[in-house]
Amino acid sequence: MIGFDFFLDRFGIFLSALFIFIGLMSFIYALATLKKKGHRLEFYITLILIVTSGVGVALSYNLLLIFILWEISTFALWRAIGFYRQKESLNAASFSFIINFMAASIMLIGIIMLFIENGTFNISEIQSFDMVAVVLITIGILTKSVTMPLHVWLVPAYKAIPSAMGGCFAGIAENLGVILFLRLLANGNFIAPQFFYIIAWIAITSSVLMGGAALLSNKLRNLLAYSTVSQIGFILLGFAVGGTYGLVGGMIYILAHALAKSGLFFGVGIIEEMTGKDDLNSLPCVLKASPTLGVLMALLAGSIVGFFPMVGFFAKLMVVIGTVTVSGYLGVGAIVAAVFTLLYNWRFYHELFFAKALTRSTKVKRPSYIALAVVFILALASLLFGIFFYQPFNYLTAGGGF
Amino acid sequence: MEFWGIELYYWIIFLPIAGGLLGFIINRLRTELNFLAFVGTLYFAIKIFLKTRGEPISDSLASIGGINFRFFLDNLTGFILLFVAISALLIWFYSLKAMSKRPRERAFYLYLTVTLAAANAVVVAGNLIFLFVFWNLLVFSLYGMLQIAKGNNDSSHAARKAITIIGVADYALMLGIVILLVMVGNVDFPVADKITLTNPWLITSYILIMIGVLAKLGTMPFHTWIPESAKVVPASTLAFIPGSIDKLLGVYLLLRVSFFIFDISSSMPLRILLMVIGAASIVFMSAAALVQKDAQRVLAFSTVSQAGYMVLGIGTGMPIAIAGALFHMLNNVLYKSILFMSVGSVENRTRTSNMNALGGLGPKMPITFFSFVIAVLAISGVPPFNGFYSKWMIYQGIIEMSNQIPLWFIFLICAMFGSVLTLAYSLKLLHAIFLGQRPKALNKVREARFVMVVPSLIFALACVVFGIFADLIPLKLFVLPSLPFKIETIGFWSPGLATILIIVGIIIGLIIFLIGTVSNPKRSRVFVGGEVLDEDEARVTGADFYSSVRTLGMLNKTYLFGEGGAFDIYNHLQGLARGFAFISKNVINRIIVAAYHSIGKLVQATGALTSVLHTGELYNYVGWIFLGGAILMLLLAL
Repeated sequence: MIGFDFFLDRFGIFLSALFIFIGLMSFIYALATLKKKGHRLEFYITLILIVTSGVGVALSYNLLLIFILWEISTFALWRAIGFYRQKESLNAASFSFIINFMAASIMLIGIIMLFIENGTFNISEIQSFDMVAVVLITIGILTKSVTMPLHVWLVPAYKAIPSAMGGCFAGIAENLGVILFLRLLANGNFIAPQFFYIIAWIAITSSVLMGGAALLSNKLRNLLAYSTVSQIGFILLGFAVGGTYGLVGGMIYILAHALAKSGLFFGVGIIEEMTGKDDLNSLPCVLKASPTLGVLMALLAGSIVGFFPMVGFFAKLMVVIGTVTVSGYLGVGAIVAAVFTLLYNWRFYHELFFAKALTRSTKVKRPSYIALAVVFILALASLLFGIFFYQPFNYLTAGGGF
Repeated sequence: MEFWGIELYYWIIFLPIAGGLLGFIINRLRTELNFLAFVGTLYFAIKIFLKTRGEPISDSLASIGGINFRFFLDNLTGFILLFVAISALLIWFYSLKAMSKRPRERAFYLYLTVTLAAANAVVVAGNLIFLFVFWNLLVFSLYGMLQIAKGNNDSSHAARKAITIIGVADYALMLGIVILLVMVGNVDFPVADKITLTNPWLITSYILIMIGVLAKLGTMPFHTWIPESAKVVPASTLAFIPGSIDKLLGVYLLLRVSFFIFDISSSMPLRILLMVIGAASIVFMSAAALVQKDAQRVLAFSTVSQAGYMVLGIGTGMPIAIAGALFHMLNNVLYKSILFMSVGSVENRTRTSNMNALGGLGPKMPITFFSFVIAVLAISGVPPFNGFYSKWMIYQGIIEMSNQIPLWFIFLICAMFGSVLTLAYSLKLLHAIFLGQRPKALNKVREARFVMVVPSLIFALACVVFGIFADLIPLKLFVLPSLPFKIETIGFWSPGLATILIIVGIIIGLIIFLIGTVSNPKRSRVFVGGEVLDEDEARVTGADFYSSVRTLGMLNKTYLFGEGGAFDIYNHLQGLARGFAFISKNVINRIIVAAYHSIGKLVQATGALTSVLHTGELYNYVGWIFLGGAILMLLLAL
């Protein structure tokens, strides 16, 4: 029953490698920035738990095992959000924990319903899907993979976490939901296509509306949170429309988003360190203090928007191809979401680096070189995957994938 | 087709990138490496141009996920590549002095080479998705290039505007290509059976692709980043991107899509749409150019209006007008480069491009003046220069349309009226910069450096030659072989005879000038209230030549709205998005958050209620136990 069914397919290996890479980057960044004595040990344990749960979910083929890892991840998120032990962060931690836990419990009901129906927890043997069970599991998925209207916990969570943990949040923990969606629901033809159609529209709506919210946010962390919601919408859209382009596009989108968003989060962390401010309107100009960071952030924002030499371009292109294959109207919706992505990312980038002139009175600290190097590596990886995009594509499509 | 065992089309993509990147890293050898890159690109472009005269070349690089990454090179490719390479080389040569010792000079050359490589790659690609990859790369390099401002200006707003407009248009282009891919199955070109525009999704696809193309060409309503950046970026950037590369690539893709993939002549409404966009761009943007005070801004608006001619010509669907549009694109690259570079040279010497502070520079900068005059005559369509010929071909195409649409003459009037306006603003430019009285501050101005003059002279020579020998050189060699159909006769206009007549006319005019009193104007001093005015104070600048246009009834409001940004699609896009975002953030998101909080409140209230019931007294609990037992018994009894 609780077989530890691991399955090393190409999708799983791809995701595990990515998650471990992101975890490593977070680790190095944390070494450079998390200098305060105290409960640092807790941070590293949390980090390892998040990476473990990510790798486990990516490779596991057993629903119960996935659920256990899922709860480990929820627990780790709870500790990570409450890391600074301030009142707000503790509140945010409990808030996220309760919502995630509730949704996971609802999902557990769905999983048990599937078990009763099929007599197994093994994903590859589940053939009959009760609609109620699917909806219950979807609630869990949408909560973990912050999709509207279940995204609310992310904004206070992003405000509270240490910036070193941001990469793990955007790159690993929030992908668990879409991975389960891919493994359990999008795999095979056991569910009516209308379901996926509805999920696709939910993903687009979430992406567009939260893109709009990001366009008006002034707090850096809020902006990143809304941006994450909007980007996860794109990944979910890719998996919901299915087909080679949709699935592989969604996978490459996970790669693009994980690299770029953790890079942006680290960059924002550096900026907060340099200036001590977190509001777009009150930031002094950081471009002259660190032009390198300006270029790197341009590349990362470009990757999220989807400009060519970055990997985000091909991810977006493939998701759009997959979407249009299913329905032209969905394609138009996806492009509207993409337009919002462009607008809010470039507002963010412009206000961050070009809106203000450097006045002499503003004191800006120098960025930590190791932290900058981490952002550089992430930007470089985005660039290289963008130029040699066919490597991940060929890897994922060769041998039938999953 | 190989050079050192590597196909020419790889050379033409990777050579500029390699030269640019190495030059960026090894700053000391930058000029030499860039020289290799640009001259090498020209060499390979010429080789490709000569090779493609025969059979078209197509070669598949790889097929990834059912998409052919293939190259396709035909006559059109060779022609566009050649002029991309020529204009890049000359503008680079010009920039050597114009950009020297400027801030961020190194980055400028990197962007220049990357733009060149991406443009080459767009032209040699044989698949729309492959093409779109490099088309998208141009957005990034454009953004980087526009960030390099002249002097102490801040060009970041213009750059943001450009990346937003072009980026959104690129998304439209992407969707259009993807819809086509899904509908047809592949997006290789040229296709054997051209796609007729009957299916609504195919029409959508065509329109979306057109949005991308028109934004690249810079026609209305996607033009607004050009005038905005014209105020703040150096002339080299303007001459290279909106002046040359964008026109070449825009017309290239317009032709490819309209005549090698789709069959635009199958859909009259779409043709009329293109013609309306073209005609509107011509008239409105020429009118906007009339009242500008900054020379670079005049040229920016002029660029937009000239793009209108190309779109108008292609929109007619008449072979002669399409040839005219392609020819006009070529001409525009030539004279618009001269104009931008000359204004840049003037600014390099005088530190301003504001026409109020300029004037009378003709004697001081005679060579620049000479090439500028030729460009002005060419752009205004004065025979025998090249601009006249291409415009005439477009007019002829519109006239040939007369049996197809009833209101064809409106387009003709727009095109001709636009030509008049072009002459008007060009003369204003000429007068305000080179003629009239010279302000005292400019008395020490010298001729621009050799390096900055030579490219203009070469382009000017081309303007003259392409005008006088239009049939023999540009049409026969470049334009007509590039089109997918044969054009039998263009024998309506004989440039040779006209040139002779015009030269005779000029000689007669000179004789009259010499023997008449025109050469001896009466000079007197200017008084105001008995005070002799200083020469500078009495100076009449050319900047306000047509300011009175603005006082004309309706036009007044139109100009005011235009300056207020009412016609700026960027403002509308931002406004629309922000309005929508306001709703999503402050209404929908708040409702969701409130729902969560109310659930929390509900849970708390329930807890409070039950905690009231748990008083801690034994009697109460015993009472509860009995009550529960009674309910249980009742249920069992039922």
